Parts: sequence; structure tokens; C-alpha cells
Amino acid sequence: MNIQTSFTINQKLEILSDAAKYDVACTSSGADRRGVKGHLGNSCASGICHSFAADGRCISLLKVLFSNECIYDCKYCLNRRSNDRVRTTFTPEELCSITVEFYKRNYIEGLFLSSGVIKSPDFTMELIYQTLYLLRNKYHFRGYIHAKAVPGAHPDLIQKTGYLADRMSVNIELPTKEGLAALAPGKTHDKILQPMSQIQQNIAASRLALGKSSSFERHHGNRYLPNSIFSNDRQKQLNASASSLAVQTASPLSAYSSSAPSFVPAGQSTQMIIGAASENDYELLKVTQTLYQKFDLKRVFFSAYIPLNEDSLLPSPDTPPPLLREHRLYQADWLLRYYGFHAEELLSPEKPNFNLLLDPKCEWALRHLGQFPIEVTTASYSQLLKVPGIGNKSALRIIQARKNSTLDFSILKRLGLVLKRAQYFITCHGKMLYSMPIEENFITRQLTAEQKETSWKLEHPQTYQQISLFDDHFLDVPPTVEDKCKSILGQF
Amino acid sequence: MIVFTCCDTFDDMMTCIYDAWAARLGHSNIRLQTEPIGNFELFCEYLHIDADKEKVKKVIRSIQNKICPQAFYDVYTASLSYESNKLDIIYRFLIVGFLYQKQVTQMLGNPAVATLFELKRKVTNEAHQFREFVRFSRLNENILLSVIEPKCNVLTLLAPHFENRMPSENWMIIDKNRMIALIHPWDQKSFLCPLTKEELSFLENSRQNTDLYSELWKTFFHSVAIKERKNAKCQRNLMPLWFRKNMTEFQ
Repeated sequence: MNIQTSFTINQKLEILSDAAKYDVACTSSGADRRGVKGHLGNSCASGICHSFAADGRCISLLKVLFSNECIYDCKYCLNRRSNDRVRTTFTPEELCSITVEFYKRNYIEGLFLSSGVIKSPDFTMELIYQTLYLLRNKYHFRGYIHAKAVPGAHPDLIQKTGYLADRMSVNIELPTKEGLAALAPGKTHDKILQPMSQIQQNIAASRLALGKSSSFERHHGNRYLPNSIFSNDRQKQLNASASSLAVQTASPLSAYSSSAPSFVPAGQSTQMIIGAASENDYELLKVTQTLYQKFDLKRVFFSAYIPLNEDSLLPSPDTPPPLLREHRLYQADWLLRYYGFHAEELLSPEKPNFNLLLDPKCEWALRHLGQFPIEVTTASYSQLLKVPGIGNKSALRIIQARKNSTLDFSILKRLGLVLKRAQYFITCHGKMLYSMPIEENFITRQLTAEQKETSWKLEHPQTYQQISLFDDHFLDVPPTVEDKCKSILGQF
Repeated sequence: MIVFTCCDTFDDMMTCIYDAWAARLGHSNIRLQTEPIGNFELFCEYLHIDADKEKVKKVIRSIQNKICPQAFYDVYTASLSYESNKLDIIYRFLIVGFLYQKQVTQMLGNPAVATLFELKRKVTNEAHQFREFVRFSRLNENILLSVIEPKCNVLTLLAPHFENRMPSENWMIIDKNRMIALIHPWDQKSFLCPLTKEELSFLENSRQNTDLYSELWKTFFHSVAIKERKNAKCQRNLMPLWFRKNMTEFQ
């Protein structure tokens, strides 16, 4: 065997970014920080994508593993201990110089640092902390940093890292305990949730010390939604539990002043794999909602499972990744965070999966046709949001525009409504766009007719075949009763 | 029909609006257009207007005071567009604006307002895309250089962002289509500067096109894509081909 001990920096980057690519989170959003003279970088709350890879996913951070060595043996993971792979590790200095130079050339918004577990969780977390410390203090880097919290690492290490990072994340990977036990033998739910709740408490405490509310501000539209998953009663609970902590943790810092360092200002996120175990959409969405409510997560990401390893417990290696299912889950995730829906409204134990041909909001609307049509000239913001084809931007524009002028369908179109979908569910001054029955079967047919082709293409990439003159489809005429009689009687 | 024409700079456009308004010919009898004019129409009289500092000030002041600062920002942004009928769109917007004053920015139902809003959105969207897709390369140890070919005149919209992002670096962004450079010396304010062809070709020749970090970036760009999820259409949607001319990862 040829053992190569030293790699060039280019080879290292290739190996370690290739190993990190299955992590979905590549957002640079959530934190606003102005640039300062003598330092490098700022951070934009909206996030900036700098490029788009061949798979259409945005590249906004330098997404790498610190090391692809790992002591765990998770079935779904490419870097599991039992896989025979080239292993390598960055040094903190190398990572810092790449990050800073990439940042200056406007290639990236910052660093996403994850790692396989080398030796022990503590050792790995310490290395991540050292890298961030160098980047922030030696290189004066003020850009975005997303760091992984390694489950099982000492709480002090996680806390120290949190003051340097903008976002931290712990991946749940599988929503059910059984799934996790089967596919990730080294991990347990409690071990994953422990750092998550620690980060949440530290965030709440640091926010209170800075004079903000303990839980994150959500999209401003949520204020006008009476019954969203972020409604008030939850925040009171959080405030109570965090305020006691705030007193403990904030006291060594300059208490209650805006100069106190903020802990993970862009919040934490997590990720779940879709399609590796047998969980359904209802379970996934319920877990997502619980994470938003209990742990105040900023984002939950979904990752369509791509078969990398062969194992009897995993789907076979030729299964295509469930991309459309992932897309539907993201749509539902948006409905939870921006549209005031609850997981229980969208799905139920009796109907646990989304329809792949219709988006979740259309599906919901078709099951609740009694609430439609909605009159756009008088409907409230929360009512407008329930209409398929109206998003929060167009809903706000409708409300703005109707103050000063009378609406009609041509104006609605100009405001950015997707009339293709919305036309079945709205009236304007008591009239629909065309006279149409508000009937479930009719609307379903209309909505799916256009989407069928695209969803088929997504689900079945390249299943076409060349038409030929000599195709024998439909030419095998089945034997008729007469033929059978003849064959029995031998009349050929 | 009388057509007022002017050069494609903000001062010229504001003066043109002032003169067109002051001519008192009736709004429906005039049209405003930026030069160069491709096709001259029969039965049209063309009047060229030159910039006048006083008139520019007056127009800006009255938009800010009589309508609102937001409206002025919208007008300015729209004026950076590449479309030749932008000036007429701005003029029609101002007619409505001086009538309804502050609330005009909310009157999205009005066709004149909606057209300006759309134009402004196109410009800000392109500016945002360039915020993402500008690529710097090293001119030497201390200077970063980027060359872009934008459709709209986005340099002034990019300046605040990059000034904030890299306050202590020397960098410049060159708009190759308009031959303007945005120059930022470290720890100072950035400024615009016209460029000659010789200067541009000198700069382009002397920059380092391939070095360690641009190679690293190309490696990263290719290795971070998941080949099982390959989706060129989605990629083109988010990053249209015409941006890629000057991007390191596609060179």
C-alpha cells in the first residue's frame, strides 16, 4: 500500500470540501455587523450567496471539514470509521489563510467549519475553537462563521466557541430515536440535544444581557399572524427560564450594556436526513416544529439521502435521492415560519405524507375550500397568506396598494401574485377572474395539469427512450377467445 | 411630438426633466429619451439638453421636499438602468408624484408608479447580483482588482457594500462597458474615475490571472457540488451565463 503522509493544500481542500458537501447549511444570514477600519469583513442579515455549484446549491461559505478522521461508525456517513478512505487534517493556520484570502477576493462570505471526531469530542472541539480564535483575533476577521458543536464536547468549550461564531449547529440527522439507534450506533438523542439546549440557553442569556428579548425576532410578518408557531405564550416561558441564567453568566461581563459580546448572534440550526430511515413527513414536520418552539432554532435543514454506503439497514445504492420530497418539506417549513401554519394543519397521522404533485399550501387549500374564495380588497394579512400564489411580499403589497387605489386583476398581476394558482381562490370586488366552479376535483385537475410534467421530470430523470419505427409497443395482440378455441381444437 | 434628449448621466437627466417640465407643452405632447437614439421618428422634433448645475439642484430639492426622500432614491436607482425609455418612465412617475406627494411610493396600482417600481427593482436586483458575483484578483501584493461588464450602471450601488466589507484594503472595480473605475484606497472613501482604453488594457495585462488561491477556489467550486443532484438549469437560473464571463471559477 502506498501511504502518502503529506498532501498539498490543494489536495487537502479537495478531500475535505468533498467530505463536507453533504452538510446542507450554507447560509450566511441572520447576523448584521458593520465593517470596522483595520479589520476585514462585515456581515449582512440577509445573507449573500457568492456562487452556485453545478447542483444549483448556493456557495456562500467556505464549507470544509477540519478533518475527515472519525471515531464513529454511522451507517449513512461517508467518513465512518469502517470506510477505507484517504484521511487528512487541516492546520488552523492553513484554514485561516485560505478563508481570509478567499474573503478578500469576494469568493465567500465566511467559514463553515465542521469536522469528523478526531480522538475525542473534546479534542476536536478544541481544534475548532483554536481556528476560530486565530481567525477572529490574529487575522481580525469580522465575516461570518458557522461552527459545528460536537456532541459530547465539554460545555465550556462549546461556550467559548459560541462567542466567536455567528451560528452554531448540531445535526439531529434522524428524527426518531429508533432510527438513530439503528443507523448511528455511537450517538443518542440525549447526547445530541444536550449541546443544543446548552447553546439555546446561552443565546437567550446573552440576548437578555444585550437588552433584547430572549428569543429570536422572527420575520416581521409574524407579528400580524395571530396564531403562528412563534406566538407569545412560548416566549414568556423562555424568558422565565433564561433570565435566571442571564444573571449568572452576564455578571462577569459588563452587564446590560451593548458592548457585551454576543453569543451565536445568528442562532443555531440543525439538519435531518430524508429517506434513510422509514420516518414519514408528518414525523419530520412535527419534530421541526418542536425544534423551532422548544429550542428556538433559526433553521431546520433537510437533506435528501444520497446512498453512499452499502448496508442492509440502508436503502439500496441505486435509489435516487428523494429531491421532490425534500422540496415539499422545505415548502412546508416555510409555511411554518412565515405563513402561520402548524404541522398538524398540514398533515395528520392518517395522512402522513405530502402529495408530490401539489405543493403543501395548495393541498391545504383544497381540503379547506369552505374558507375560500377570499376577497382581496378586505382580507387581513393572515387571510391573504393562506391563498396559494400569494406570498408575504405580495400580501404586503396588496395591503399597501389597496389603501390608495381600487384593485383589479391586472393590478394584482403587476403586484406579483401568481394568478395561475391564486385565481381559483380569490375574488376582487366580489368577482373571480373567470367564472369557475369552486370544486375540489376541478381545481385539482387544473392545478396538477401544468405541474405534472415538471414533477415527473424531477422524479424520473432520464427515463426517456428514443422512438423508433420498429418499436413493438402495443403490437402484441393478446390471443382472442377464438384463437384459444382454435388452438385447442388444432385448427391451424 | 417634441422629444427632449440628453446624455446618459444623472445631471443631464435631471436638467432634461426640468426643461421638459418648464417648456409647458403639455405632458402628453412631449417625450424624454436618453442618447444615443437609434431610430429618429418622423413628425418629431428632437431637442438636446445639456446639464446645468442649478437646475439639477432644483429638481433634486423639489423631489425630496415635495414628494419624499424615498421617491428620490427610487428615481436615482431607476436612472441607473440601461433602458433608453427610463427617463420617460421617471418623468411620468414624477407627474403622479407631485400630484399625490408622499403616498405615491405606496400607489403600486398606478401604472406610472408600477413601471418605475419595476425598473428600480431590476436595477437593485442586478446590483445585488454583482455584490455576489464580483471577483477580485491580485494586481500585486496590496491591490485587488475586479473587472465587470454590468448592464446597468451599478458601481455607485456597489460602493457602500464593498467599502463596508473591506475598509482597510486597496481595491478597485472596473465597469468595462462604461469605462469607469470605482477606486478605494485603504481607510479612505471610495471614488469614481473615468478610465482610458490603454489604462484598462495595462491593468488587465498586469494582474495575476492564475495563482494559488484562484486554483484553490476552482478546486473547491468543483468538489463541493454533489454530482447525484446535478441541476444545470437551476444553476443557470440563479447565476445566468452572462455573469460568468468575468468569474474566476469559470475561467
